[in-house]
Amino acid sequence: MKMQTRTKRVLAILNIVSWVLFVGLCIKTGAILYSFFVSLAINSEATRNLYLGLNLSDLHRFSGGHYSTVVCLIILLSGLKAYILYLVVKIFLKINFVHPFSTDVASLISRISYVALGVGILTLAGNGYCDWLTKRGVAFPDLQSYLGAGGEFLLLGGIIFMIAQVFKRGIEIQSENELTV
Amino acid sequence: MPIVVNLDVMMAKRKMSLNELSEKVDLTLANLSILKTGKAKAVRFSTLEAICKALNCQPGDILEYVEKG
Repeated sequence: MKMQTRTKRVLAILNIVSWVLFVGLCIKTGAILYSFFVSLAINSEATRNLYLGLNLSDLHRFSGGHYSTVVCLIILLSGLKAYILYLVVKIFLKINFVHPFSTDVASLISRISYVALGVGILTLAGNGYCDWLTKRGVAFPDLQSYLGAGGEFLLLGGIIFMIAQVFKRGIEIQSENELTV
Repeated sequence: MPIVVNLDVMMAKRKMSLNELSEKVDLTLANLSILKTGKAKAVRFSTLEAICKALNCQPGDILEYVEKG
């Protein structure tokens, strides 16, 4: 009984944390998107501080195309991470711990795993692209905090994918159990 | 599913309604309906025993194997 109360409290905290992270990532994505448009259309000086000191002015001077690609990658990854947290928030809204195995929750979990795998692959590709640009002599700030680490997301995606498969089996067992007379 | 439930046939032979059977075997109408319509995925031996006792029949009278064509 005590364990259940503690689990409920942990889940409530996780729910709040995922809401906060979701809103934070949406703000981050929106802010980078806005300053990206400003840097392209209004004032290229915005490339010096795109978001919290992100300075890509050297890259902008080197090539507008590469600059746009890198910033679009950062925006895309940030948006996808926000989408993952949106799915987590949706799970918290939909899940019923008395009958947790529902097809809605299973499809949300599998979607999270696919998006996490996509984020992992995109991050690895982005890091490789940035390394390639650095080798061509472009002075780059450390983009690790903006792009993130791809390996971790691949691992996370893989683990969630396995959990999604177990969850699907759980649904089958639950429906069999419900249809046992 | 190749297993066909002939509960409705046996009930008609014994002239027993679903409500009456439900009271005799102590099963809910919803569960009996699942069994009657062939939606059930499994039947407990205790349920089968109670139904056979109430309808005075054998398990083979209620369950039938029909190969899919």
